[in-house]
Amino acid sequence: MTTTAVTTETPVVGFDQVSKVYGTVRAVDGLSLRLHPGETVALLGPNGAGKSTTLDLLLGLKHADTGEVRVFGTSPREAIVAGRVGAMLQSGGLMDEVTVEELVRLACNLHPKAYGVSDVLARAGITQIADRKVNKLSGGQAQRVRFALATAGDSDLIVLDEPTTGMDVSARQSFWATMREQADQGRTVLFATHYLEEADAIADRVLVLHRGRLLADGTAAEIKAKAGARRISFDLDGDIDETALRGLPFLSSVDISAQTVRIQSTDADATVHAVYGLGLYPRNLEVAGLGLEQAFVAITAAEEAQQS
Amino acid sequence: MNSLIKLELARALRNRKFLFFSVIYPSLLFLLFAGSSGADSKVDGTGQTVAMYLMVSMASFGALTAVLMGNSERIAKERESGWVRQLRLTPLPGRGYVLAKTASAAVVSLPSIVVVFVVAAVVKSVRMDAWQWLALTGAIWAGSLVFAALGVAIGYLASGDAVRPITMITYFGLSILGGLWMPSTTFPQWLQDIAKWLPTHAYAALGRSIEQSHAPQAQDVAILAAFFVLFAGGAAWLYRKDTLKA
Repeated sequence: MTTTAVTTETPVVGFDQVSKVYGTVRAVDGLSLRLHPGETVALLGPNGAGKSTTLDLLLGLKHADTGEVRVFGTSPREAIVAGRVGAMLQSGGLMDEVTVEELVRLACNLHPKAYGVSDVLARAGITQIADRKVNKLSGGQAQRVRFALATAGDSDLIVLDEPTTGMDVSARQSFWATMREQADQGRTVLFATHYLEEADAIADRVLVLHRGRLLADGTAAEIKAKAGARRISFDLDGDIDETALRGLPFLSSVDISAQTVRIQSTDADATVHAVYGLGLYPRNLEVAGLGLEQAFVAITAAEEAQQS
Repeated sequence: MNSLIKLELARALRNRKFLFFSVIYPSLLFLLFAGSSGADSKVDGTGQTVAMYLMVSMASFGALTAVLMGNSERIAKERESGWVRQLRLTPLPGRGYVLAKTASAAVVSLPSIVVVFVVAAVVKSVRMDAWQWLALTGAIWAGSLVFAALGVAIGYLASGDAVRPITMITYFGLSILGGLWMPSTTFPQWLQDIAKWLPTHAYAALGRSIEQSHAPQAQDVAILAAFFVLFAGGAAWLYRKDTLKA
């Protein structure tokens, strides 16, 4: 697939100026986005950013007040009926008092392009607990069963709402390994998460959502760059000329406490160069990358500052 | 959808408590209430023997238990847990969930009717023509749909802690006031005047007319039909409301 083809084909998901209002709260506010085949996309945002509402709109569980949501060029419901979408909800309850295998068999029977039950169990890593009652599972095991339900058939798009909630670190790692296999088979994967390191580690593309609007759309590296990608810290002797420091290029924030200066910069090389240009002699100089989490906090803080 | 019906049914058949209360319990009540009555003793104001009268009462009560108790609480619980949402992410049509619940309840309600009949025939020597047994089974079974719709409506109306008391009050209220436990002819007149408008009263009256080889009273059929429209309409409306909000 070439890059030019990407722009002309039907997007996997298309949101066109979509809004959803609850009372006075604009949960989703004029959201436009497109997902392309084969992408692994993270939907990132704090609680109340509109992540779950966005996924609900995408899956046809909610209907947009204005704008249009298309999935493979059709309505969400049509895409689901055609078996093109597999989804795992955050609030995805399970039928209790049945066994894991019975529930997975039900999902396979309902899916128009289903895989074999034993394959689905094996891929989700729940073959060992196939005979267990669904209401006797741990949180992590229940998540794996939900994952099995989402991957019961050959769907082209997999949607996951905070899929690793309740999993410990090793379970989380093996979950994402399984998820990568899905993506490697050419599927489009969209997941919402508040484990920000997951978005950083797994997604090709990160959508940052804040107050129902798309705040940033790019690779994790681009998002970090946009937010002030590097943190510079150093100590200075004597009186600190704060005005001069605040005049440094490419700054996104400056914090001075006692003799220590902490700076966030979108171009650390240029900023450090300018520090020497001021005739200063920084000691204990450190330049470190920001995690996506801090990048994300910086973006949303800037957004809030602009609005107030 | 068949696979969901099968799974709902397998689950219902595994639930011993539910099976006891819907299949065994009505027969035990029948034996308890009819136990001491002689073969010829009549229920005042009905012209029926105690055994005949109670057989219809308890078969109706059993069917009511099977379709009302299971559905209302399960639907409320599964709405809350998110299972209903999860099912909406499958190609299963929206009404498939409710239909599967109703179908599996109907499979359990059939034995609860038949077991009462067998106990009545064997222990209390109740005798009727073959067509009467069949018609009676069919009428009580079909009539239970009215209460299945009520169960669905309650399941979509109530949630959490409220669903059990609401179901219980409805269940016992309809059973007792409708004359399923004791003949409504023993009620004071003002209560009888209310009771005769209840769907359970019409439901049992339908069965009694078959026992006595009468055509069913038009009023009873009309009452049952009206309640069916009310409950099913209410269930559909509440279902749609829940779907939009979910």
